[in-house]
Amino acid sequence: MRSNLGRAKYDLFTKIALGLVIFIIGFLIILPLINILVYAGGSSGSAILKGSISDFVTRSIIWNTIKLGVTVATLGTFFGFILAYTQVRVEFRGKKILHIINLIPIISPPFAFATAVIVLFGRSGMITRGIFDWRPTLYGFSGLVIVLTLSFFPIAYMNFLGMLRSLDPALDEAGLSLGANRWRVFRTITVPMLIPGFAGAFLLLFIESIADLANPLIIGGSYTVLASRAYMAINGDYDISLAAGYASLLLLPALFVFLIQRYWAQKKSVISVTGKPSGRPILVTSFGMRFLLLSFTGLMTTLIVLIYTTVIIGAFVQIIGVNNEITLDHFRYLLGGFANGAIKTTTFLALIATPLAGIFGMLTAWLVIRKVKRGSEALDFLGMLGIAVPGTVIGIGYAITYNDPLKLGGVTVFPQVAGGAALLGGSIAIVMVYIIRSSPAGQRSGISMLQQIDPSIEEASASLGASGAKTFRLVTLPLISGAFLAGLLYAFAHSMTTLSPIIFLVTPDTSILTQKILAEADQGRYGNVFALCCILIVLILVIGGLINYFVKRNQVSIDRPMTRSR
Amino acid sequence: MKSSEGKLSLVSITKEFGDTQEKVIAVNKLSLDIEPGEFVTLLGPSGCGKTTALRMIAGFETPTSGKVLLDGVDLSSLTPDKRPMGMVFQSYALFPHMTVFDNVAYGLRVKKMSGASIKEAVSEVLNSMSLSHLANRAPNQLSGGQQQRVALARAMVVRPKLLLFDEPLSNLDAKLRAQMRTEIRSIQRKMGITSIFVTHDQDEAMSLSDRIVVMRNAVVEQVGTPEEIYRRPASVFVADFIGRSNFLKVESAVTIGDKKAQIVVGGNSMKVASYSDNLRSDKSVLLVRPESIQVSMSINSSSQVNNGEGIVENLVFYGNHVEYTLESNEGKIIAVVSDPVYEEIVPIGKIANYSFDPTRAWLLPLT
Repeated sequence: MRSNLGRAKYDLFTKIALGLVIFIIGFLIILPLINILVYAGGSSGSAILKGSISDFVTRSIIWNTIKLGVTVATLGTFFGFILAYTQVRVEFRGKKILHIINLIPIISPPFAFATAVIVLFGRSGMITRGIFDWRPTLYGFSGLVIVLTLSFFPIAYMNFLGMLRSLDPALDEAGLSLGANRWRVFRTITVPMLIPGFAGAFLLLFIESIADLANPLIIGGSYTVLASRAYMAINGDYDISLAAGYASLLLLPALFVFLIQRYWAQKKSVISVTGKPSGRPILVTSFGMRFLLLSFTGLMTTLIVLIYTTVIIGAFVQIIGVNNEITLDHFRYLLGGFANGAIKTTTFLALIATPLAGIFGMLTAWLVIRKVKRGSEALDFLGMLGIAVPGTVIGIGYAITYNDPLKLGGVTVFPQVAGGAALLGGSIAIVMVYIIRSSPAGQRSGISMLQQIDPSIEEASASLGASGAKTFRLVTLPLISGAFLAGLLYAFAHSMTTLSPIIFLVTPDTSILTQKILAEADQGRYGNVFALCCILIVLILVIGGLINYFVKRNQVSIDRPMTRSR
Repeated sequence: MKSSEGKLSLVSITKEFGDTQEKVIAVNKLSLDIEPGEFVTLLGPSGCGKTTALRMIAGFETPTSGKVLLDGVDLSSLTPDKRPMGMVFQSYALFPHMTVFDNVAYGLRVKKMSGASIKEAVSEVLNSMSLSHLANRAPNQLSGGQQQRVALARAMVVRPKLLLFDEPLSNLDAKLRAQMRTEIRSIQRKMGITSIFVTHDQDEAMSLSDRIVVMRNAVVEQVGTPEEIYRRPASVFVADFIGRSNFLKVESAVTIGDKKAQIVVGGNSMKVASYSDNLRSDKSVLLVRPESIQVSMSINSSSQVNNGEGIVENLVFYGNHVEYTLESNEGKIIAVVSDPVYEEIVPIGKIANYSFDPTRAWLLPLT
């Protein structure tokens, strides 16, 4: 109901939902972040912050982080663009399969890439040494760049794919009809229109690569970055203020870049501002360009397939490349007691977090698009914090905040949920992290779906007498069930594979699969790493498939999403 | 300043899509000669092949067979960028990352003209289309009509031998569309550029064209001036697609020289002043446009006209005209009587006399 005096008035359901969302965001992410900054003000933390200007070691860690981020972001953006361009503009057989292979790294468990790359291309690599008798050192910058680029380029690929597909082919045709040749059209029309896209992909990859903790621990060697240094501050120095210092050094640039990405790069996007796209894109037909693009794409895809083949074969042989005798020893060992608890706990906690993250994401999306009139952008940003803030920072923030009961004036208002003596062995904190880390994906897909749906559909429900809550449940949720499902699947897969925040929260009572993989990778028992990765992938595929099945079965069938009338 | 250049000839061009199993023929053996400076419209329902034909002329599609000749030169081997043509797109296709000026200057920069002459040429064309004040705007800051004009300016500034229009007015509202029609036509006349315009809107085709090419299912149904298409349609499809029509079933027809015919419709003997060349005597149909029919209480006594009577089934008064629906032995008849005298309107349920001049009737083959 529109109100008098131009002041936004919300119905009861909206008020409750908004309060709940803000409360959850406050507890699950704002409070830990504030505590990071508070602790960073402690003696060893502030020493680090000051050292970021004066101290040589600290400065070199910062420099390492930035250098890694820029290199990976540059390469990943470039690769993502070439692969997306090939996918959209070149006609060839096996396009769909190639597309799926290019997306696999997104749900890949941590360490799968790093260990497989070491086995294939390391000092004793099956390819480097086995075929070329070459013994490169992978541990350090070069190894990190290879592994992170391979892991993160699909993000750029997805971005470019969407943009290239929505480019109006008539723009290229207009250029051609004005006498420009294809190269000139590419140079003066296609690329300039994608510049915000390039910037956006670059910034996203930059955030991802400076936030990554798993790979620097395994393949980083002596190349220390902020995330791995913060981890060492907790697990080596046992200095929480020091860790908070490094974490805030990581937090600030990550947040800054995230803000630029969302509020500059996305706003700058000029794609399809006029009319409706018509016709098919102009395809690359010249032999030379086709050859170049297809061989590059083929090479990347082969590399990904090779890595996954290594993971799978490695799980079923004694020591891949050294003793290739087929065996089930790794699985026998893992399922014979070593990983049983972790498998159960991880799946159980992820299953609890998945629906909560999904609903939370949808609720936030709905509030942002439909209900909140002033400050919807701010709410959107707060909802996205869980993905904008590096996992390492969240983990440390949680360890600081929830390792003790929260007290207000001497009275416990919230029990201790993280650490050894915590309620339910610290599993509550883990679920909280799962939710805040994976709800942003659902929020994004929910927002883009709601933008497609004519608001008058919901207004019709209200005019027929349905309350806000009823409308949300009976009309809105069924309409965005596609986004909801995508959010659930992402939440489950992401919860199962996340490592960086969890590593600070596991206790003897709650062990988590990814942390087991880290322990085995640390010990160099790659057979077990590969077998654990396989178990993780099978779990994600099977349970993801079940979620897909049950949600789809209960889905209201909507042939086509109703689109906003022009 | 009519140019003697810009004669386009389509020689039996055919376009097939898909593989041998699921072959779709989009354009089938289209032949057409377009004179320099002529404005020709390809008109037809969606899927008739008109856009594909235009895209073959532009070079975006390669004909499966046949030739496109411009001033006698075969264009087959030329890619779109090598063809001296300008195109205006349905979606306008303005480059969103460039200003209006840069959009218009794009084709000139491609030609490597000097900066000063580019500036001069762009200013001139922007001026002539009253766009000068928008030169530094981005396309998304313009209204639909302004975007349309920029697209036209961009296509014209390179002085193409041929201007191609792909349903450029379909995204505008009715009033703007009428205004842009007039504008396009007057600019095209002034520049004397041969133009081909694709549309499914008969009003656009009628008001713009020197000649109209009506297409259906990949083939040409008729080529002619707007008057010919309207008054002398070659087929029931053309008559039905353009304007409103009464089709009366003809029982027998006898031609009586000088292109006249004596026919029987519903037992009623009528005269027709002209008929289609491809008329077959066994199956023909009489076309009378609703506005050609007069309705009155009593018989029109002139011996020159065809008379009949019918019951008034429905009557709608629009102010400047009255629309009758008559049920008669000859069939259902729609008549539009303009500027009606109130006392002479025949009320619903009464028997009315209708009449039409033989010169206003047209005999054409049934299928």
